[in-house]
Amino acid sequence: MELEVIPQEARQRLDQIGGADLVIGIIGAESAPKIGSAIEPVNRALASLSAGVKTVVFHNASHDEVSAQLHDPEGNGSSLWIGYPGLTPNQPVSPAQSIVEAYRTVFTLSDGLKARACVLIASDLETVTAQWISRLVQPILERKFDLVAPCYARNKFEGLINSAIISPLIRSLYGRRIQNPMGPDCGISAALLQRFVDHGSSPPSSGRARPPMSIATDAICGSFQICQAYVGRRFYSSTDSMNLSSVITEVLGPLFLDIERNAAFWQRVRGSQPIPTFGDPLPVAEEIGTVDVRRMIESFQLGSENLQEIWGLVLPPATLFELKKLARVAPDRFRIPDELWARIVYDFTLAHRLRIINRDHLLRAMTPLYLGWTASYALEMETAVPAVVEQRLERLCLAYEAGKTYFLSRWRWPDRFNP
Amino acid sequence: MWDQVSQVLNRATVRVVSEVVNLLPGIVALIMALVISAIVGGILAFTLRRSLRSIDFDERLRRWGWFPGTVDTRMFRSPTLVASRVVFWGIVLIGFLIGIAAFDAALTSQFVSSLLAYLPNVIAAVLVLLVGNLIAQFLARSVLIGAVNMNLQYARLLSQGVKWLVLVLTVAMALEHLSIGGDIVRMAFGILFGGIVLALALAVGLGSKELVSRSLEKESSRTPTEVEEPFRHL
Repeated sequence: MELEVIPQEARQRLDQIGGADLVIGIIGAESAPKIGSAIEPVNRALASLSAGVKTVVFHNASHDEVSAQLHDPEGNGSSLWIGYPGLTPNQPVSPAQSIVEAYRTVFTLSDGLKARACVLIASDLETVTAQWISRLVQPILERKFDLVAPCYARNKFEGLINSAIISPLIRSLYGRRIQNPMGPDCGISAALLQRFVDHGSSPPSSGRARPPMSIATDAICGSFQICQAYVGRRFYSSTDSMNLSSVITEVLGPLFLDIERNAAFWQRVRGSQPIPTFGDPLPVAEEIGTVDVRRMIESFQLGSENLQEIWGLVLPPATLFELKKLARVAPDRFRIPDELWARIVYDFTLAHRLRIINRDHLLRAMTPLYLGWTASYALEMETAVPAVVEQRLERLCLAYEAGKTYFLSRWRWPDRFNP
Repeated sequence: MWDQVSQVLNRATVRVVSEVVNLLPGIVALIMALVISAIVGGILAFTLRRSLRSIDFDERLRRWGWFPGTVDTRMFRSPTLVASRVVFWGIVLIGFLIGIAAFDAALTSQFVSSLLAYLPNVIAAVLVLLVGNLIAQFLARSVLIGAVNMNLQYARLLSQGVKWLVLVLTVAMALEHLSIGGDIVRMAFGILFGGIVLALALAVGLGSKELVSRSLEKESSRTPTEVEEPFRHL
């Protein structure tokens, strides 16, 4: 059904070339106006691959407008560019939902074309380079990896939810040190793609749509070969305070559901292993200056004052006591220990599974705690150099790994083990 | 003459005594019915209490926000106790109605008929109260969390205001179902509801006028990107 929406001439060309070795999906709501800037990097990336790689690039811009910019609009060379309107949702949905739908669409298109590899580009196209694309493709086509996760060059205050929660949590539970398990850019092999596309009687449009972080965890649970590659700088969108709780809900909700689904796997995992990494990290100019965390600390203090009743349903008394002490500390001495933060995240993960309160309320009630951690981290790392930041994040990951025993006990005996 | 007076008095005394003697079996039957219903009620209440305690009924209601953690009255500290006592006294009441039938079956029949006709209203009122309480707790929690995330200092006041607005509405609807009060209840509800809204408006508008205006000025003078610089969460 997805292939029927493709313009007639493009479909004829697809029929002529008979499928593709590589499918590149350029998704993201903001990519349409900037698609022209992606043509050159994609072509140079494809030129660096071994010859004869038939490539189809799906994008959400106007097919005719992009064709006009191509040297080879009919795809007689190695690549065929196709404008696919289905990559942009018709109804207004949240950014997370639109990415999930776009993922599903590209997976189904790749499966329909029997591609050996599929690359998804969801980041802002202004930062995407040829190296970005080739590093996501080469490990799959040439080294037989199944998943290539991105390593972005970022400063110490970018990707904070990933640094604070997602990456260390997946590392401690699933035992793989992936810098960005949530992508959103990634490269996937055909073998891994099969897990995300439904076959059989159900139509392709009703195929299972996996959230981005499920790709990494599904690959780990399925014993697929995973690697990561340094791709360059990524543009991070700003999140105002009004939307932060919605972002946290949309990101952590599927993550916690995934953890619940894969409980049988991660309970057997001990420690963590690094994964193969390709490329060299790009330095990022750190010119941030002083940071103002007063508002974040105020949010934490307000949460501590007003949300005790809700936090009390989720967190054990020892943790609540420590949070109350922190709420009275002077702002310049405000520090949340890594062990405490790891336990808080674990407790919320467990509460999500037990449905102690409405899940939406639970995740939104976590926002002041997350802002408290961010403020604590910012005060520590305000003048730190990148090497120190990496060490700091590594200590946080080790705290998560050390706290896994605590999490296992609470997961298995939620009523009996309550320190 | 005195003979006539004593005869009249004797006849009246005999009538009274015979009426009392006629009532005695009914009284005995009523007492028996009450005793038996008390025993049955006690057994059922005990069984219900054991069952509810085995499924942690009180803890579940507390998590769902149906029951606050601190209540002064000893009886209302435990929903399990409330449920078991309702069952006990309900069965005793049924026993009482059965016992009343021993005096005058027709009277009891009329009384029971009118009671049964009123029962659907009672059930509807109880359902309205339960659902209203649930909605009030949910909305209060939603408003509390949302207001805290928006850094509003009066988050708890807003949350309590929303909760009591919904509860007042619920109680008014329940009383309407029970046909209690009529116009007096409607008027009282209107005054109370309007009073709560006015009080909230005054508390927020006047009582914390400077605080709110400072807070709103701070929020409006910042753009979303300025608030979060240099942090990028996602």
